[in-house]
Amino acid sequence: MQRRTLLKAGLALGALGSLPLGAHRAFAEEPLTFYGLKSMSGAFASYGKYADMGSRLAIAEHPQLLGRSLKYKVIDTEGNAGKAVRKVQEAIGQDGARFFQGCTLSSSALAVSKEIHKAGGVFMTPVGADEITGKDCNASTFRWSVPTYGAIRETLIPMIRQLPQAKRWYTITPQYVFGDALLDNARKVFAEFGVEHIGNSYHSLQEQEFSGYLTNAIAAKPDVLVLLNFGSQSSNALRQAVNFGIKDRMKVLMVWSAGLDQFQELGSDVLEGVYLGAQYWHQVDTPLNKQLVAATQKAYGINPNYPLAADYIGTKVMLDAIAKAGSLDGASVSAALQGMRFQGPTGEELIRPGDHQVLKDYYLLRGKPQGQMRDEDDLAEVISSGRSFVEVDHTGCALA
Amino acid sequence: MSEKNPLPVKGRTPALLLVVLASLVALPLVLPSATLATEILIFALAALACNLLLGYTGLLSFGQGIFFGVGAYGAALLMIHLNWGMFSALLGAAVFGAFLALLVGALAIRRKGIYFVMLTLAFSQMAYFLAYTLSGWTGGDNGLLDVPRPNIEIAGHVLVDLADPRHFYVFVAVLFLLIFAGALRVIRSPFGSTLLAIRENETRAAAIGYDTRHFKILVFMMSGAITGIAGALYAMLLHFAPLSNIDLMMSENILIMTIVGGTGSLFGSLLGAGAIVVLGDVLSELWPRWLMLLGAILILVVVFMRGGLWGGLAELGKRLQPSRTTDDKATAKTKETL
Amino acid sequence: MLDLYLFQLLNGLGLGMIYFLIAVGLTIIFGLLNFVNFAHGAFFLLGAYLCYTAVAITGNFWLALLIAPLVVAALAWAVERLLIKRIYHLPHTFQILVTLGIALIIQEASVLIWGPVGKSIAVPPELRGVLIVGDFIYPYYRLFLIGFAALIGLGLWLLLERTRFGALVRAGSESTETVSLLGTNIFRLFSLTFALGVGLAGVAGVLFAPLRGAQPFVGPEILGIAFVVVVIGGMGSFGGALVGGLLVGVVQSMMTSLWPQGASLMIYGAMAAVILVRPYGLFGRA
Repeated sequence: MQRRTLLKAGLALGALGSLPLGAHRAFAEEPLTFYGLKSMSGAFASYGKYADMGSRLAIAEHPQLLGRSLKYKVIDTEGNAGKAVRKVQEAIGQDGARFFQGCTLSSSALAVSKEIHKAGGVFMTPVGADEITGKDCNASTFRWSVPTYGAIRETLIPMIRQLPQAKRWYTITPQYVFGDALLDNARKVFAEFGVEHIGNSYHSLQEQEFSGYLTNAIAAKPDVLVLLNFGSQSSNALRQAVNFGIKDRMKVLMVWSAGLDQFQELGSDVLEGVYLGAQYWHQVDTPLNKQLVAATQKAYGINPNYPLAADYIGTKVMLDAIAKAGSLDGASVSAALQGMRFQGPTGEELIRPGDHQVLKDYYLLRGKPQGQMRDEDDLAEVISSGRSFVEVDHTGCALA
Repeated sequence: MSEKNPLPVKGRTPALLLVVLASLVALPLVLPSATLATEILIFALAALACNLLLGYTGLLSFGQGIFFGVGAYGAALLMIHLNWGMFSALLGAAVFGAFLALLVGALAIRRKGIYFVMLTLAFSQMAYFLAYTLSGWTGGDNGLLDVPRPNIEIAGHVLVDLADPRHFYVFVAVLFLLIFAGALRVIRSPFGSTLLAIRENETRAAAIGYDTRHFKILVFMMSGAITGIAGALYAMLLHFAPLSNIDLMMSENILIMTIVGGTGSLFGSLLGAGAIVVLGDVLSELWPRWLMLLGAILILVVVFMRGGLWGGLAELGKRLQPSRTTDDKATAKTKETL
Repeated sequence: MLDLYLFQLLNGLGLGMIYFLIAVGLTIIFGLLNFVNFAHGAFFLLGAYLCYTAVAITGNFWLALLIAPLVVAALAWAVERLLIKRIYHLPHTFQILVTLGIALIIQEASVLIWGPVGKSIAVPPELRGVLIVGDFIYPYYRLFLIGFAALIGLGLWLLLERTRFGALVRAGSESTETVSLLGTNIFRLFSLTFALGVGLAGVAGVLFAPLRGAQPFVGPEILGIAFVVVVIGGMGSFGGALVGGLLVGVVQSMMTSLWPQGASLMIYGAMAAVILVRPYGLFGRA
């Protein structure tokens, strides 16, 4: 009996003791804290882990900023948009947080950007939803990644040019707002270049079984199969497609791949000959990328992948902007960021003033056969790269 | 389903309400922020509603997320498109929640036991599907953005400005207290006793002459209404109604809070929500794999503390009282062997 | 067009056999132990991960197919002895909560051990390639899956119908008290049955691994499928798991040609419809 009581008491006390007895922090001459929104736990833990590593790398380059020491705090969004918003609200209200970088999910980023804007902070995010620099844009939010228009154009168009015989194209699209955006852009490109869009298979948000869709696709006899899904859905679709022997019958394009970590998971057998669209590739030869690869190798012993690179450059650019603005006032830092040119992983990059979209390259890669790989990360080669962005007037963004 | 939960002790309503009031006052002081405290109260409402079904009627529902999500979307849409104010939006959310609960409940209670549970699970998945398909209304996977948090006004004059997180907390706390008191009233009424009778032995309750279907649907609607209000408050807290409000994980989380807090006790819902939310926050800062600890805690609670946190506190309270009759010792011994 | 539906039908049968494998363990556990195992999906993913490791060590998929499910079953046996046996008598609520806890632990442990990014397992070289009959294309590996799952199903049926162990399991599903009174060590029967049921989930995980990889967060999805199949077929019914699995597989596959977005709606709608129309599923009993 005693043991049971002790255990129960212990559990209850433990629960009480875990409550941080809320000290309200005083606002003295304190270090500058930079906040990283990372999905460290939950279903997107893989993304969050590398994203965090990237931010830390950038923070390490700036031990001091504007005469204060620089601190970095991680907010675990748990891959849940509701948690992300509440934690950001808390950080803003309790800790005076103003500078945020990250987010894995578009839904989190959209909601969080509104909170940060209300507080006059600054937020840089790599998420893909068009609305971030489109109809939901605001003066505090910046985006480093290429949204659907560019991702589609920089993959489909080079492929169309490279494969003049490929006239019949079939798409597999996830039923997301985002998936539809990719599909719309794809349709426009097909029409523009006179190739036939012979069919589309929608699939649900949680689908992992693609045999039915692949059977549809094969029956339609396309020249190219275009996968407009992403994440684990794209991985499974590709795996199963390869298993169906699709590579013998048609070319395959994955428009929105996750980059190196996804390639490492899939392996060269699956990836060989597959066209892959990517936001970032560690082999790209630009001054900043070389530095980044060296720094990542030194700090972590690996090559940088997309989450790492995106959050590295996002954090770095914000820190540089703070230094440039010479002030911690959100509006000043935002003003410093607007129109800022900098060396990014894809070369010289520019933050477009009209919508706060970073103009950067998107890559078309192709998977390499095992025999040609020079090291275990040499899974793909760059076929083409370029920049395509919707005109500012057509983004739906009205920055005051 | 029969658990040896203590029946609610009669005649202690004022004392219990005082304890609740004290907790509501203490919460924002003990916690680092009013926002966190508000989130806890919101989930405590959802857990309370779940408890009405689970602890008092013996119905394990995986569908609470449906009502939570519908409340959030409903209130948000009413405020955004029809410019409804705070109270009308909350009322709307309650109505939506109750209506969905009527639909779900009326169908689900045709079956019992594990089949009832599975029906609620099926409806939960169907609701999720509808939510992301009707993206014109719900924002799909992006969720509904720019959800307002209307101030309390009369004829255009602002009485209370709810933009301040502390003011909003007080508002939510008052609502919580009112709903808690209301639920307590219901539990202690003949209606509540009938629910308990249904939980203990439905056949017998029916044999005595109660229309058990009727009661179950009513408690479902109550639960749906309260959960809908909670969802609406959550949307106002975040200025955002994400898709995750209506997914299965939300239903699971609400159930976990209810059970960890202690079924068969309304106050337990507050304890459970507080524990799980705070634990999640604290642990997630320490270790990204904190879900493993949550899993271990769930197991420990069931194996060692089946009455949940409330049961644990009640046990502790009893231990601290030295005088025991032989009856008490016998009951205690029976509990030990369970 | 008819061809396409035929292909989808055949594909659906293939899927259905895998779903049968996923679900049959769950239904056996419920049938005998009256236990709701919300960790079923977690053991599935564990099977996939152990397959990955076994293949990494031995380089042989067939060895992995043998070893991984046995390890999963052994783990399940240990969990049963330590934890599950304490909660048989509890209402389903608590069983669900405990097994949810176990599922979380397994999920996060997988991330700890193998990292948050998933792993791929290659299709064994003997089974690469596709069968081509006219316009019909089907991977050899999936054909193998159908056959192998059928074999396992047959073996399981023989186990349940023709062996003493099976007789005990079936009798125990009717009345554990009687079986215990007749001299059987009920506790050992329970442990073995639990290990068997979970081991089957492990087998399904291994078989699915070349098609889905090993991922830490697929537990809930697999659990969902398992429950849909079991509920439609009837909880505790072997035949129900088979028919339910095939039904779900075929519906899912046909839906991809008819109304792909609605696949999950249809499946859960079908589950709700079956429960409402036939209280114990197609083949279940009270």
